[in-house]
Amino acid sequence: MNPLTALWLSIVLGACAQIFLKRGVGHQQLAGGARSYLSLIRSGWVWAWGICFLFATGLWMVAISAMQVSYAFPLLSVGYLVVAVLSIVFLKERIPASRWVAIAVITVGVALIFKSQ
Amino acid sequence: MSTGSIVEKPELLMERSAMVKKSALWQWAALGAILLGSFGHLLIKLGVSAATHNGGGGSVIARIGHYFLQPAAVTGLAVYGGGTLLWIYAVSQRNISFLYPLTALTYVTVALGGKFIFGEAISAERWLGIGVVMIGVAMLQFSARGDRS
Repeated sequence: MNPLTALWLSIVLGACAQIFLKRGVGHQQLAGGARSYLSLIRSGWVWAWGICFLFATGLWMVAISAMQVSYAFPLLSVGYLVVAVLSIVFLKERIPASRWVAIAVITVGVALIFKSQ
Repeated sequence: MSTGSIVEKPELLMERSAMVKKSALWQWAALGAILLGSFGHLLIKLGVSAATHNGGGGSVIARIGHYFLQPAAVTGLAVYGGGTLLWIYAVSQRNISFLYPLTALTYVTVALGGKFIFGEAISAERWLGIGVVMIGVAMLQFSARGDRS
């Protein structure tokens, strides 16, 4: 597989995974410690998260084994944007303007960190 | 004015400090997840680099399988897994659009870890990037004040 394709797939799958996880645990309080963690095994959303997460991680490994880290890492911040958009659509999260600005600032910072490599 | 009322009603102060404690727990969980995630990432990279030298070819699935056989990569994944449990707790408490960009702190911890553990140099441009990420994370915290859960 083309490393760049692997990278983009990894970013999108990773973002979907976070949305699934929030969907699975968002209404639980996880206050019961280990027992409430174990009960998550019965949640289909949590399974969806696990599977997406596993594939995202594998594809990420494929990407960075054939690609410069300084190129791959800043692109990973696109995932913050994808998660934000998906959270509006699927989780009805309300995103204040300040959060969009914060995401943009973080992305610039990440690009600066890896530009100097 | 408001401090005066707390002094008069000590139970109000107790209640407030309990609220602070409960609300701080997810922050520690998120921070722990980010720190364990950074360390796990370093180990995974180590394992993947080792694997690339002796088994690059084959299908994508075969290559991923080969990566999972590297000891450093497996250890890294286990550390990452510990961080993931903390992450799940944090996600159950706060909005995902707020929490996910926080993971950018990983780049800061990896850069600082590289400097203080491995003695890697950090260029002026990278320090600037680290500063900008920190500013972004601070703004993110500010943006979370109106969140419901």
